Amino acid sequence: MSARKRSESIWGLLFVLPTIIGLLVLNYYPIVQIVYQSFCKTGDFGLGNVFIGFGNYAKLFKDPEVYRCLWNSIKYSVLSIPLTLLIPLVLAVLLNKKIKFRDFYRTVYFLPMVCAPAAVAMVWKWMYNQDYGLLNHLLGRKISWVTDPKIAMLSVVVVGVWSAIGNNMILFLGGLQEIPKDYYEAAQIDGCTGVKAFFHITVPLISPMLFFVLQTGIIGALQLFDLPFMIMDNSSRAWPSVKTITYLFYEYAFEKSNRGYGSAIVMFTMAVIGVITIILQKSEKKWVCYD
Amino acid sequence: MIRKFIAGILTAAMVMGLTACGQSADASGQTSASAGGKTIRVAIWDNNQLKGLQQIADKWGQENGYKVEFDVLGWDSYWTMLEAGVSGGEMPDVFWMHSANALKFENSGVLLPLNDYIEKDDAIDMDNYFEGITDLYTKDGVYYAIPKDHDTIAVVYNKKIFDKYGVDYPDDNWTWEDFADAAMTISQKGADDGIYGTYCNVGNDQDTWYNIVYSYGGKVISDDKKSSGYDDPKTIEAMKFVANKIIPACPPQDAMASTGGDTMFFSGLIGMLCQGSWVVNNFYTADNASDYAWAMLPYADVNDDGKCEKEERCSIYNGLGWSIYAQTKNPDAAWSLISALGSKEGQTEQSELGITMSSYKGLSDSFINAYKGMDISAFVKIEDEETLVFKPYSKSAGIWEPDVEDILVSAWTNPGTMEEVLAKCAETMNTTIAEE
Repeated sequence: MSARKRSESIWGLLFVLPTIIGLLVLNYYPIVQIVYQSFCKTGDFGLGNVFIGFGNYAKLFKDPEVYRCLWNSIKYSVLSIPLTLLIPLVLAVLLNKKIKFRDFYRTVYFLPMVCAPAAVAMVWKWMYNQDYGLLNHLLGRKISWVTDPKIAMLSVVVVGVWSAIGNNMILFLGGLQEIPKDYYEAAQIDGCTGVKAFFHITVPLISPMLFFVLQTGIIGALQLFDLPFMIMDNSSRAWPSVKTITYLFYEYAFEKSNRGYGSAIVMFTMAVIGVITIILQKSEKKWVCYD
Repeated sequence: MIRKFIAGILTAAMVMGLTACGQSADASGQTSASAGGKTIRVAIWDNNQLKGLQQIADKWGQENGYKVEFDVLGWDSYWTMLEAGVSGGEMPDVFWMHSANALKFENSGVLLPLNDYIEKDDAIDMDNYFEGITDLYTKDGVYYAIPKDHDTIAVVYNKKIFDKYGVDYPDDNWTWEDFADAAMTISQKGADDGIYGTYCNVGNDQDTWYNIVYSYGGKVISDDKKSSGYDDPKTIEAMKFVANKIIPACPPQDAMASTGGDTMFFSGLIGMLCQGSWVVNNFYTADNASDYAWAMLPYADVNDDGKCEKEERCSIYNGLGWSIYAQTKNPDAAWSLISALGSKEGQTEQSELGITMSSYKGLSDSFINAYKGMDISAFVKIEDEETLVFKPYSKSAGIWEPDVEDILVSAWTNPGTMEEVLAKCAETMNTTIAEE
């Protein structure tokens, strides 16, 4: 290594050092702790941990609540992910054209991203209120948006999708603007326009961005915690059908201060997300085009 | 050359930034250390009490040269904060203790043992407080908290609603059956106006259905705190009464899961509510306070003699305690503060300001007097004449209580299943207690 290269790498390291330290202290140390605690019967206040091997995991695999909450998280992902891909993509394509008030629409769709999620959830909670909420008032009906087990999950999905549209739209807009205009012009000469051009040019060329949004979206959806927590009350009869696996972790780790079992739940969740991510990565070659 | 120069500037900026951070951290560390002798941090979970408590604490602060800073958190985050604070070492000096979690904190080394301080301090004598509260905060002869307050339950009702539907006001001779019938009448007549007789969700245990359980002779936990009382025949009978008579007179469970009882009451949608003395101020300062009046909790005429025996009318009572963090930098100042709050003067002031009823015996009348123009004597009458039952708890109360509430939701939505659901409650609770 030449002196210059060495000096550069030293400086480079120095510049990323704050981030590395941050990651080590705030991310990697807790991960190690979680792995360790998941093998322990943890004492009150984090004192007096007793190593119990796979005890927590044995309990976990027999606990129907874990499967139910995991299923809820999966249900949320399956319902919300297609919408958080489709709607923003269509919006991005429309807003990529030269239309009137384009900046206005872009701002409107991005606005939910700027709002604090907790505040968003509180407003939706009020709108969903069965007796005094805005939605039922406008519809003139008494729909149990967040207390009917059949539709409570859908109500949460609506809020989740609504909040995610802006961010994904911006990502897709970025992807769309990378696509050279020549392709569309060439296609037009061959008679391929409109919807055809969308499916044959836009979608393949934006597929790397689609893949990115899909992958981060699935991980985010499986980690859903804040929306159900804020929108719903524990005494709602729909709560068992919306409670997510991350909430279950929170309940054990913090409310019931059983950190050991909480850690095991979170390790299990991580494994599930890991497997899904691997499958996605394998499928990447089949449908994502990098030019 | 230029690049090097820029890089140099950027590096310098970054290093300065880092050291600046370091400095400010140091500086704040120093100030909190030097003023640390001058600031006592207190954590509580009830915003309604903040103003009054701050007033008492500030008086102490001026006399002793301290600043008392209150942190108010929500109930759930309060306990999460303490739990995390113990592991992380970042704790308030003084904080509230509660029966849901007290036994877990006692003996854990988190709370400062107070025996030596109590002995040396003439202002504090543990015999002056309600026994149930002192017991709760005493373990193996060691005192872990100074009782702060106690509370009882009463019925608050909206006179306008009772007048509108021609229902007699609750009175001291009411049985729970009368209560349920009146509530049902209001719910039926008020159906078109969206008005309901009463409100009792799964979470209204301490203020509503625990009282019914104990009035019927049932129990939530055995006397030795080793097993659940939800399989006790009398508890089942009481809860069946709740299922068959009280719940049908309430708003649908879906509505209760979306809107709180006090919110609905203040909006003039609920005829009467069982409420604890710790929320009186909300009703006193409400917009329509002049429509509200208080009555004693009903009794359960278990032996059918038409009279109320002492044990047939029960009010659950509970009391918070002032605890000190064992590793606080200022144990003496912290003690001095809670001694001021727990002394007869502090307790009297707490009553007179109407913050809560005090844990110091014999001061409840000054609490009543704090609310001029509103008769809240029902809270004191029940403790003078009837039975007070300490809110059921065990070491793991913080776990089984919410668990039982979760399980009960299905009985609330489907009252016919109450008995099976109670069996499930008992099973879950017994499993939790066995692991204590």
